[in-house]
Amino acid sequence: MLSHLRRTISSKFLTNIRALRTTPAVTSDNLFVHRDSAEDNLDVKFKFTDENLKRVDAILACYPEGHKRGAMIPILDLAQRQHGWLPISAMHEVANILKLPKMRVYEVATFYTMFIRKPAGKYRIGVCGTTPCWLCGSDDIMNVIRKKLNIEIGETTADKKFSFYEVECLGACANAPMIQINDDYYEDLTAADMEEIIDKLQKDEKPAPGPRSGRFAAEPKDALTSLTEPPPGPGFGCRQDL
Amino acid sequence: MLRTPLHRALLPCVREALSVSRASASTAPEKIEVFIDDKRVLVEPGTTVLQAAALVGVEIPRFCYHERLAVAGNCRMCLVEVEKSPKPVAACAMPVMKGWRVKTNSEMTKKAREGVMEFLLVNHPLDCPICDQGGECDLQDQSMAFGSDRSRFTDIDHSGKRAVEDKDIGPLVKTIMTRCIHCTRCIRFASEVAGIDDLGTTGRGNDMQVGTYVEKMFLSELSGNIIDLCPVGALTSKPYSFTARPWETRKTESVDVHDAIGSNIVVSTRTGEVLRILPRVNEEVNEEWLSDKSRFAYDGLRRQRLISPMLKVGGQLAPVDWEDALVSCARALVEAGPHSAAIVGGLADAESLIALKDLFNRLGSEQLFTEEQFPVDGAATDLRSSYILNNKITGVEEADLILLVGTNPRFEAPLLNARIRKSYVHNELDIALIGPQLNLTYDYTHVGEGPDVLKQLVSESHPFARKLKAAKKPMIILGAQQLKRPDGAAILASVQQISQKLGKNKDGWKVLNVLQQTASQVAALDLGYKTNARSILENGSNPPKVLFLLGADEGVIQRSDLPASTYVIYQGHHGDVGASMADAVLPGATYTEKQGTYVNTEGRAQQTLVAVTPPGMAREDWKIIRALSEVSGYKLDFDTLAEVRLRLEQVAPNLVKYDEVEEANFFKEASELNKDASAKLGNESFDVKLKNLEDFYMTNSISRASETMAKCVQAVMKQKQSKYYEAQSA
Amino acid sequence: MTSKLAKPVVRQVKPLLSLDKEEARKRALNLYKAWYRQIPYIVRDSYLPKSVEQCRAKLREEFEKHRNLTDIRVIDMLVIKGQMELKSCANKWSQSCHIMNFFKESYEQKPKDFLSKFMDGRP
Repeated sequence: MLSHLRRTISSKFLTNIRALRTTPAVTSDNLFVHRDSAEDNLDVKFKFTDENLKRVDAILACYPEGHKRGAMIPILDLAQRQHGWLPISAMHEVANILKLPKMRVYEVATFYTMFIRKPAGKYRIGVCGTTPCWLCGSDDIMNVIRKKLNIEIGETTADKKFSFYEVECLGACANAPMIQINDDYYEDLTAADMEEIIDKLQKDEKPAPGPRSGRFAAEPKDALTSLTEPPPGPGFGCRQDL
Repeated sequence: MLRTPLHRALLPCVREALSVSRASASTAPEKIEVFIDDKRVLVEPGTTVLQAAALVGVEIPRFCYHERLAVAGNCRMCLVEVEKSPKPVAACAMPVMKGWRVKTNSEMTKKAREGVMEFLLVNHPLDCPICDQGGECDLQDQSMAFGSDRSRFTDIDHSGKRAVEDKDIGPLVKTIMTRCIHCTRCIRFASEVAGIDDLGTTGRGNDMQVGTYVEKMFLSELSGNIIDLCPVGALTSKPYSFTARPWETRKTESVDVHDAIGSNIVVSTRTGEVLRILPRVNEEVNEEWLSDKSRFAYDGLRRQRLISPMLKVGGQLAPVDWEDALVSCARALVEAGPHSAAIVGGLADAESLIALKDLFNRLGSEQLFTEEQFPVDGAATDLRSSYILNNKITGVEEADLILLVGTNPRFEAPLLNARIRKSYVHNELDIALIGPQLNLTYDYTHVGEGPDVLKQLVSESHPFARKLKAAKKPMIILGAQQLKRPDGAAILASVQQISQKLGKNKDGWKVLNVLQQTASQVAALDLGYKTNARSILENGSNPPKVLFLLGADEGVIQRSDLPASTYVIYQGHHGDVGASMADAVLPGATYTEKQGTYVNTEGRAQQTLVAVTPPGMAREDWKIIRALSEVSGYKLDFDTLAEVRLRLEQVAPNLVKYDEVEEANFFKEASELNKDASAKLGNESFDVKLKNLEDFYMTNSISRASETMAKCVQAVMKQKQSKYYEAQSA
Repeated sequence: MTSKLAKPVVRQVKPLLSLDKEEARKRALNLYKAWYRQIPYIVRDSYLPKSVEQCRAKLREEFEKHRNLTDIRVIDMLVIKGQMELKSCANKWSQSCHIMNFFKESYEQKPKDFLSKFMDGRP
């Protein structure tokens, strides 16, 4: 009897010790080493078009001599826009333009989720899964995509029209939940909105970007809830003698 | 990472700014007072907390920080509390401010360390029992010293730990990337010191991994150093894997002989076997790096060894006893008398050199040669200034312009090249090269290909001459291999003349440097060995009756050059070129098996110590010669090592002043004496022997016998087939 | 200054047994006599393949080996050891093979000169 009591007490006590909870290591949908594939290998050549080369020069001109490597992200982005995604030969091309070791370009291209290193669909849907969006129902949005397009995170539909990614915070938390499709943000979404967006895109129509709740931008939904009075003048809250 | 290109590109303006700040700093070296654990210390402005703590003997734990690499500040292990600061600060990156009170042992510091350690360990496998780093692991040591004493990690389903795929980065470095704690030391080393930007981090957050991204090996002549740098067992030595624990081995401090730099090493041995070789810190020679050949060629020490004396019986070498071998060698030597000649190879120690020279002189022969050739005209090797690296290796850090003439320091002396690169990155050193286009891991001005440029530089008609003249501390490094050419004397003379002109009014700054290729050369020349070995064939009517090869394996004299009657004695440790042409073989000891004196290319005498005993019937080299002298009736009067060194001191006192550099002088006289030769400059362009990485690995009898080195050559060849191979960067 | 002040001091060492040379000599002689008298019994009891005369010659040889000793303490120590040896012979703790060790001279000498050391492979 006593021993039983002791056991219950000790087990009770044990559960109170704060344990570092671990979940299975979640890795992203991307691979962070390069594997040659049919679409992505050194034999697939990448060259900037003449038009884009002019853009490259314009971008490079923004950076002073000695800091040209600052142009890496814009030029990588340009390459991605030209090719639809970022093959290894495009990274090499950028490294050659900037006269940098190739590894330095790989580092940047793998760091940012916006650089897509495998063939992607026409519409790249990035659903924000960071806390505010997740709290406001990003899971529902993802489920709609899963159901409607029958793809999982990191996959592309068979018709190469849609790609589905989970991304980290895109800085539109006031309008959570939100998604990004190519260059446009779609905010304040509901499951119905998501369905509508996909339907329109299926027909290659462009759904209206921006908040769906009737807001113009990130202003409060109804009236102001704080900072309602006019701002106090200078010296507010300071000591008299100052 | 990669500050280097930025630095270089910013060059003009940065240099201006630097010189200004330097000037102001030198006028007012005001020191800052800080307190580390209540101990007062005065430091220069800009000193980091970690450095200030080191000054008072307080060691702050760290993983990513390394004295010789750029500060990264990403491991957070060095967090310490600073009074009145709300958060702990990273000691490695934070410069101290006036009056700071740093607490390296406070509650907050301890808690910060425990927290960091806990997070590191959450993603680190618990495989210490099968990890090669076990026993010398920073993570192990620091988790004992600074970690929490209990674990909160519960993962009974074995589902949680991060796992990363291993990379194949070559035959020398084994990677177990799951163990990596992302300190980025290897990346910084590759980028800053080795100059090969092949390593980097890919991905972010939990996905981050260190590697090459594409399938590519990290092939550099300094790649082994990332094993030492890795604070955990992510990068370990492939040849040494699963061999021994550090506490089982005996460590002997010694000196490397694979190049003329004389890197300081520690030889780890167990049960009479060399298990691995690690670098030993010597700021003036190798800092704390070591080239791959010096580090990994040790497996050649137990392959292809000569373990018993041999005599040629019926055209075949057959093992015999020492008595028989000595008697027949002695008989041949006595019969030949003055008609005997000796050639010494690149791995001979000064003790055996002096013993051999004394013996031959007693026989009446002056025919003692080094295998490496050197011009004999003019002053030749009489003046020491014309064959050593006069500015010393540390001189590279003071110089502002280096002119390389017909040399590839990257493979001939990788650690000298690492110094040049260090100076190139940090001191804005400019480098120029006369010779074939090479990849030296840094940018250089390619001045020309051949000796005609030297001619123009002497007459100051070349545009580069102005630049040389403008330099405050110019250095000219002449590759000793160019002196083998028929116009070697002329090349030396021209370089001496240029140096002489440049050296004027530079108060003692020497300009002329000769980079030797082998470990024995400077000692041999100091002892008065001659350098034109081929001349024994030229007095045609009178070829040597006995040719004694002391470790001479480069085939300067072929068997076919000699008449059949010449008796060839080979003394050495490996069955290589020399042994195959010998009539008698006397097995000697390698550098790990004898206490020997070696003089590096600067003229710095250093000694190796006995780590293991010679295998089989092999003996220390000077003893073999001493025994031979007794048997032949010309007994040398030394019985012990101390007595040999006494004799060495009589001949060349600098050879026994260990760890000191004996500086040379008489530059002007040497130049004057050589003056006549300078007219005979040839037209042929300079060529260097070691051009590519695959040439670097096998250069002497030890490295040729090494399996690891053979694998390295294979790996380089394989890499060249790869689509990701870049000729200009590898 | 200090060196001037320091006078040469005769170091007085603690004696083992004997106070002076004479006493040490007496002890050595006594030991010799004791062995001399014991030898016939040892030869008989241990079945030694040596005659009494041979053994006495050996005894003399062993003592002659230390003839030139002057240090009293060393002499004393050797006497003590000799007594121990004698005791173990008399009490038959030492068997014939142990006693025969005194006659054994066949062990190899370590090489002394350079060449023999070299052939032997000794440092």
